[in-house]
Amino acid sequence: MVQDVLLNSLFAALQAVTMFALSPLIIGIIRKVKAWFQSRKGSSIWQPYYDLAKLLRKDSTMSKDASWISRATPYIAIASVGVVALMVPFFTTYSLGFVGDLIVVVYLLALFRFFMVLAGMDAGSTFGGMGSSREMMVSSIVEPTMLLAIFTMALITGTTTLSSISYSLAVTGPDLVRPALFLALAAFFISLLAENARVPVDNPATHLELTMIHEGMLLEYSGKQLALMEWASWTKFLLFSAILANVFFPWGIATDLSALGMAVGVIAIIAKVLVIALAVALIESGTSKMRLFRLPNLLTESFTLALLAVMSFYIL
Amino acid sequence: MMIELILLLPLIAAAISYFVKQQHVAEAVSMLSGVLQFILALLIAVDVMQNGAIQYGLWYADELSVFMLVIITFLGSMAVAYSFSYIGHDREEHEISGLQLRRYYLLLQLFLFTMLVVVLTNNLGIMWIAIEGTTLTSAFLVGFYEKDTSLEAAWKYLIICSVGISMALFGVVLTYASSVDVAGFPSDSLNWTDLRSVAALLDPTFLRIAFIFILIGYGTKVGFVPMHTWLPDAHSQAPSPISAMLSGVLLNCALYGILRFYIIMQLSVPGFAPDLLLIFGVISLVMAAAFIILAKDFKRLLAYSSIEHMGIIALGFGIGGFLGIFAGLLHMLNHALTKCLMFFGAGNILQKYNTRSIAEVRGLAYIMPITAALFLLGALAITGSPPFSIFLSEVMVLQAGLGAGSYLVVAIYLFAILVIFAAFMYHVSKMLFGKPTEGVVRGEIHHVSLIPMAILLVSILVIGLFLPQQLMDFITKVAALFPGGSR
Amino acid sequence: MTQELLTDTINGLAAIVLLTSFFLVANTRMHQLVRTFTLQSLALGLFAFFVAYYTGAEHIYLVAVLTIIIKAIIIPRFLDYTIEKIQVKKEVEPLVGIPLSLLICTGLAFIGYYIAEPVIANGNIITKNCLAISVAVVLIGFYLMASRRKAMSEVVALLVIENGLFLAAISITYGMPLIVELGIFFDVFVTVLIMGVFVFKINRTFETLDTRFMRRLRD
Repeated sequence: MVQDVLLNSLFAALQAVTMFALSPLIIGIIRKVKAWFQSRKGSSIWQPYYDLAKLLRKDSTMSKDASWISRATPYIAIASVGVVALMVPFFTTYSLGFVGDLIVVVYLLALFRFFMVLAGMDAGSTFGGMGSSREMMVSSIVEPTMLLAIFTMALITGTTTLSSISYSLAVTGPDLVRPALFLALAAFFISLLAENARVPVDNPATHLELTMIHEGMLLEYSGKQLALMEWASWTKFLLFSAILANVFFPWGIATDLSALGMAVGVIAIIAKVLVIALAVALIESGTSKMRLFRLPNLLTESFTLALLAVMSFYIL
Repeated sequence: MMIELILLLPLIAAAISYFVKQQHVAEAVSMLSGVLQFILALLIAVDVMQNGAIQYGLWYADELSVFMLVIITFLGSMAVAYSFSYIGHDREEHEISGLQLRRYYLLLQLFLFTMLVVVLTNNLGIMWIAIEGTTLTSAFLVGFYEKDTSLEAAWKYLIICSVGISMALFGVVLTYASSVDVAGFPSDSLNWTDLRSVAALLDPTFLRIAFIFILIGYGTKVGFVPMHTWLPDAHSQAPSPISAMLSGVLLNCALYGILRFYIIMQLSVPGFAPDLLLIFGVISLVMAAAFIILAKDFKRLLAYSSIEHMGIIALGFGIGGFLGIFAGLLHMLNHALTKCLMFFGAGNILQKYNTRSIAEVRGLAYIMPITAALFLLGALAITGSPPFSIFLSEVMVLQAGLGAGSYLVVAIYLFAILVIFAAFMYHVSKMLFGKPTEGVVRGEIHHVSLIPMAILLVSILVIGLFLPQQLMDFITKVAALFPGGSR
Repeated sequence: MTQELLTDTINGLAAIVLLTSFFLVANTRMHQLVRTFTLQSLALGLFAFFVAYYTGAEHIYLVAVLTIIIKAIIIPRFLDYTIEKIQVKKEVEPLVGIPLSLLICTGLAFIGYYIAEPVIANGNIITKNCLAISVAVVLIGFYLMASRRKAMSEVVALLVIENGLFLAAISITYGMPLIVELGIFFDVFVTVLIMGVFVFKINRTFETLDTRFMRRLRD
């Protein structure tokens, strides 16, 4: 028993570290692919690491109107993402699933967002406030969507722990594939785009005041604090990709402790995350950002999909 | 053989009247076809009365079918006869082109054809197709004048009835599903006779849901409130002979669709169908009364009156028993005859005054005395005054209601027909008397049109005064088809 | 094909039919509307095909082929042609906002499930579950009909209702007698043609397809 806990903790820590280490690379790859599509050479895929290193060397300045919230937010962000990283299966289903289930995961991420929104308004800049209010509008629909989508998978597998969902799907094979899975997948993918400020919900590459959501809230940050916030956001993207990959298509993930299984697991998750990154890059290159007031259409569509997923579990 | 012949007649007439490019040929062929259809219908009726139901292939004709057949073909030929003057007048005024005139007779015959199929087929699926067919053929007739208002009416008619009918299709599907599990039942049969013979074995859950959908679906075409919204528009915008056909025949055809299911329902789940019919009947009656009080357009007034009478028929079948069913059937016939008479009269008034507004028609008794007299007598008849035939059937519904102990329904029914009588007479007397509208020349608009009107008046008088024994026997036999409808 | 995979495919196709009706509610362009409808009809045709394969009933194959030819090829082409020809403004302009519409339609889907439940509990055939979906599709069709004001969208709404009914017919009875099935196809086809003719006429007379302008007739 104790051995199990130790083993799980070890792997959980290993996976969390891997995710933090890999997340800038994934962002770099997305940027590179987008650059290719735009016929640019683009910066190196290692650029996000250089950026992080540069920012971490610099000091932060704070608005004199900012309160402790602005100072605390980067640490809360990195901490909540870190805890989530411990609970999400990456290349193996051994992770700290017993600590909390998917509801804990979703609300830890909500905590991250909550503080980010507060921080956006804290310094009293206009853009921060705009970004915060937009973020809340988006998340008010995205959050239930995400919950429902993962909940569908929980219904199919009969457990609410992420690693167990992924384990039982990986072990059972295609017998558990139902229409509900695809509906939930589509809903979750839209949530992924919305939660991580990707096109068509938000444009991560712009600081245009009329459109930005996520960047608006980060405008006041600089130096080390900005580095932490960026890193937390990037890791959040990787976390979502991992959840998408391992909850909806866990095949290939290591379910035992054999070296071969682990190797296959590592290769599988890298391939899956790369596919997701490629898909995101393709969407970002192929579509334009939506007008803010059309966003609720897209988001309710994804919410409807998630709701249908739950329903079709009962009907079909 | 006779069934195929009677179905072929309108098709042939349609083709000839369209391809021979002469107005008189089109009219003559249509009339001939109408009369021949009526004669054939009578022959089939006599055959069925003497030798029982005819059944072969897709076709089936029992007493109920031939009852409908006679109504359709008789009123069909009346409508053709009236069309000579009405549509001919439009042609003279250059409101329509020669092509449109030929198209009119083409569509009229196709319309007749689809209604004949409705009552002659044994297959409930084909019946559904034919009822949808009546919508499609008559939609062009409703939008015949291609004015903005008539297009609006036609579009509404097309959309609302198609949607309604699709509900009925769902009902047909469910009825079919209810028979799937019956052992030894031919699995691909939607024949009414087959379903009736195993009615007691059908799945009642399916049947109940099926009947609700059938009632709402076909009820849309019958004009039950609240699905009636297309009806006043279509009736007021269509050329008057078509309004007469819609009101007198088409509504009955749709009701016939419901009645076929009603019989199966009564054999399987007794009491379910009549209750629903009672509800729709009462609602339609009350709402129609309200609209009749407020009517400003005399063709819409007649349309609402059709809704009222469909409500009364539904009450008859809802109350049930021999008397109720007999009254319902008789009322179908009476209403059809009388409403045709009224719409023909309304057509004459419309062409004379060039308006549908009640307020703009004054002094009709001075301007067109014969039409006025016929219109007044028709109005008396339609509101249920003695000695006309509607009085008889309305009293029978009353008796049946009292006999069945549905006092509340009877009270609402009496109140509604009294209100309608008063309101109707108020509107009609305003149109008939008073200072004649200026600029309208005295004299009948066309004389030929008075002949079919007179025939219709005589027939409702004869039924009302004597109720011929043959007709009694005939309708008694039809009523005997209904469970609980034998004497 | 194994039995299980076959039923999964059948159910999956039914789910696609439902899904596309949600897309129809969310669509804002005429051509998009027609394309989504094409997709739905295609899914319906494949559904019929697999049901035919599953039951071995030959006449359902014919129905599947007819569905694809008429509903997924001819009717969409005709609709596209009409849209191009009359130069209708391409936006759909729903009366109710899309987010709310989608939520309403989800509600309708649940209602469909409750309506179908007694029948589902009663039936003993494999595709009975699809009845819930078909009722939902029919209800969404009604909603489309009520919430759209362009004559063209009303035609599409009617077609969606027909598709839902068709799904019901196949899923609870494995298809109606062939002659009825053929007649229904013919009817749908003629209905669409006639509506197309009226769309032209309305466009000519009113210079718009917005049926809100058709409000002359009232009491």
